[in-house]
Amino acid sequence: MGRRRRPVDPAAGARAGALPEAIAALSQSLPSGPSPEIFRRAKFDRPEATPALWQLLFRVLAPLPLDNRLASLAPEVQARLVKSALRSQGYPRLALAQLPEDGSQGSRELLLALSWLLARGPVLEQMLAQTRVPLGDEMTVCQCEALASPGPPAPQVRAEDPVDVRHVQWLMGKLRFRWRQLVSSQQEQCTLLSKIHLYTSGCHGDHSLGHLSVAEAEMLRDPEGGQQVRWELPRNLDLAYPKGLHFSWTPGMGPRTFWKDLYQACCWVTGGSLGSWWDSACSLLSPLRALLRTLECENRRLEAVLAWRRTELVFWRWMDTVLDTCVLGVPAAASQGTFLPQIPECSGGVLELVAWELRALQEELQEAAEHRRAAWEAKAGGCGRGPEWSAVRRASREAVEKELGALRRCWEQDRDPAQPHVPHRLVRREDGAAGDRDLRAAEVIRTLRSQEACLEAVLHQLQGQCRQELARLAGALPGLIWIPPPGR
Amino acid sequence: MLPRDCSRRLMAELQGALDACAERQLQLEQSLRVCRRLLQAWEPTETRASEPPPGPETNEEDPSPACAPSPQDLKELEFLTQALEKAVRVRRSITMAGETDKAPSLKSRSTVAPPGAIAFAPPQTPGQAGGHASDTRPTKGSCQTTVPPKGHSERQLLSLGDKTRVRTGARAPRPGPGLRDQQMAPSAAPKAPKAFTLKEKGHLLRLPAAFRKMASQNASLWAQLSSMQTSDSTDATAAKTQFLQNMQTASGGPQPRLSAQEVEAETGRLWKACTLLRLRMREELSAAPMDWMQEYRCLLTLEGLQAMVGQCLHRLQELRAAVAEQPPRPCPMGRPPRASPSCGGGADPAWSPQLLVYSSAQELQTLAALRLRVAMLDQQIHLEKVLMTELLPVVRATQLQGPPWLTLCRAAHSLLCEGGARILTVLRDDPVD
Repeated sequence: MGRRRRPVDPAAGARAGALPEAIAALSQSLPSGPSPEIFRRAKFDRPEATPALWQLLFRVLAPLPLDNRLASLAPEVQARLVKSALRSQGYPRLALAQLPEDGSQGSRELLLALSWLLARGPVLEQMLAQTRVPLGDEMTVCQCEALASPGPPAPQVRAEDPVDVRHVQWLMGKLRFRWRQLVSSQQEQCTLLSKIHLYTSGCHGDHSLGHLSVAEAEMLRDPEGGQQVRWELPRNLDLAYPKGLHFSWTPGMGPRTFWKDLYQACCWVTGGSLGSWWDSACSLLSPLRALLRTLECENRRLEAVLAWRRTELVFWRWMDTVLDTCVLGVPAAASQGTFLPQIPECSGGVLELVAWELRALQEELQEAAEHRRAAWEAKAGGCGRGPEWSAVRRASREAVEKELGALRRCWEQDRDPAQPHVPHRLVRREDGAAGDRDLRAAEVIRTLRSQEACLEAVLHQLQGQCRQELARLAGALPGLIWIPPPGR
Repeated sequence: MLPRDCSRRLMAELQGALDACAERQLQLEQSLRVCRRLLQAWEPTETRASEPPPGPETNEEDPSPACAPSPQDLKELEFLTQALEKAVRVRRSITMAGETDKAPSLKSRSTVAPPGAIAFAPPQTPGQAGGHASDTRPTKGSCQTTVPPKGHSERQLLSLGDKTRVRTGARAPRPGPGLRDQQMAPSAAPKAPKAFTLKEKGHLLRLPAAFRKMASQNASLWAQLSSMQTSDSTDATAAKTQFLQNMQTASGGPQPRLSAQEVEAETGRLWKACTLLRLRMREELSAAPMDWMQEYRCLLTLEGLQAMVGQCLHRLQELRAAVAEQPPRPCPMGRPPRASPSCGGGADPAWSPQLLVYSSAQELQTLAALRLRVAMLDQQIHLEKVLMTELLPVVRATQLQGPPWLTLCRAAHSLLCEGGARILTVLRDDPVD
């Protein structure tokens, strides 16, 4: 398919050839997407289209990383996870929940589910963005996921014995040591990175970038990648490895190793089981070629997504017809079947935390406001209630309301222009000039400082509460002197 | 000793935190390895036909023993070099005739324009007069390094015996060894590779043409995608909304309740609200009002904030009720929601990679340090909450009066109030004696 741009033609929907084109674009833009034939079969609810659609839905809904744990699940389990995920997103049709999980029927319902997902959000673009090959030194502004625990704890045989609290103290000390190590490693990496940027400035073809990234420099230094690929590469993506391809590239600055990331990119893009592919690729291609191949894949998928966006109108009209062919005899909301048991109740816990925080905040505010109100009344009680005074009061009230309204909009808006989770490519420029959509380091530093202040305040407040509580408990014991440690 | 289930939960949390740090450290170290290697001298790479060059710090790829080549090898090399020298002389006589005008420039330190196939602009040879050398970066097409270097001088021979780098010395048996400090005969086609550092020659590097083409294509496609996203066709959007509505009505199910994802999103928003309100409160409380007007406004703001918190709590109750009546099973595939107050969150509309521009190493360091600090504080707060929920009940419950309880109390105080950094002292204050 050529890259000529077709103008968006409203009459295109009427053309008979537009639908196959749209479906072809869709299937090309999905990773290991099913052939267009599957879509057609699914409209008529043919059973042979079902397994492919289950797999596709799993790929779309599963979060990255698609590690071995998730990828090697049996199809039935995958189907159950898909059902559960759709339900948690609020999928309205009950018929999906009642589909058998062995893949024997229900392709039309699955097609509807896929279209529902595609209609709700930019799924294709998101998937592409998650598997994008990072050519630059990427960095996310918000690192909240970087130190998050790696997923649900593996069901290892943990020591079920009760532990001494001193062991807990020891572990805490170990953690603090690791934090210090992280800080120093991070500082060193920044220095090196900035040097590399400085030394290679002026040699990138793209002038807006200006210098090479670590990945590009590494490619020049070692295009064959002999050492890297063969000896340092993990053979399978363990759980110990990163939480998301997206985040795996971004937490540090600079890729961990260029070729390792390439390996993972190839994993995701080709979607197959990797060991054999990679081995054969190694023997045939140099990693540079493999990278070019991956970029080519990505470019093709990008083109497919663009084509899809141009022709999707006819697809939606077609889906309406598919929906019409569905029988409306859906049974009432009976039992939803069994979902996976023993799921830890995550969202309940979070709600409780938020509630706790809000209540604490409310108490503080109450105290402060009452105090101020009392002081004010005492002071201003003697003031007259003249017309100027009431005008002043009204003006103040309106101003405050406006400010608070702006504050409320800050959190009610769904889109945050700061986009903290999107990885940004680090670019060094002496003058620090940046385009409109680019971030400047100085601004980010300011934001981070305010976040830091906020978090420190929260931490101190929590610690203060604990101090009070422990003092209360310890004070019940007479005959002891508690000497607090020397202040910082 | 702590009770069993409490221990288990604490261990799980702490171990999780330790693992996360270890993983992050691993990533950083790998990245550091790559960066350090880049900043050291770059070994000249051989072609694909030959062995891949080992990195500067690993010697295991080195097939030859890491010692001086045998005398026999040296002798063979000498024969070979003599033959090559003769070839050079012959060539020099040929090229001298044709390139006399180039000779002076070759004697100087000017760089020669790179031949088309070489992706690397030939660098200066510091400290080498009377010759130019260039590095050949084998691109996909060029096989120039298989050709043995056309020129050798006596210095080259001597450098064979000079084992500055063991590895290159060990490659001596092969014809055309990649030698350092070599001088090229004045020949138009530079051949022998040499080492250099990024500091000296970094600005002369050039990316391979194929890669540049792919990368620019990639960038432009992403840009097209973002621009298409922003100017979304209204027809398509309308069709999509229509389809979603049809799905809703055709489902025949009950009214849409809040899905788990929506609850999560709402919870995130409330989290953010809490943070912002707290920040604002702090600002108000710390500001010293100058006059009555300001004091009044401060009072009004505080009362307004209080009202907003009340509304948030009310919304929270609603969410809780919704969660309770139809427990939205959290998707086992989703990430455990880390309620971090510092995240902005929100959907990102732009897909093409955006830039983060910094202007000095200091700035980058500050940025990275702050980022890490925020993440660490996040983790610390999470652990603090976990510790509070686990330890405080234990301390309350075990009211033994003896040393075990005191140990527990001291430990709890240290963990909860000092972040594990300091421990307080307990003195017994006996009234007798």
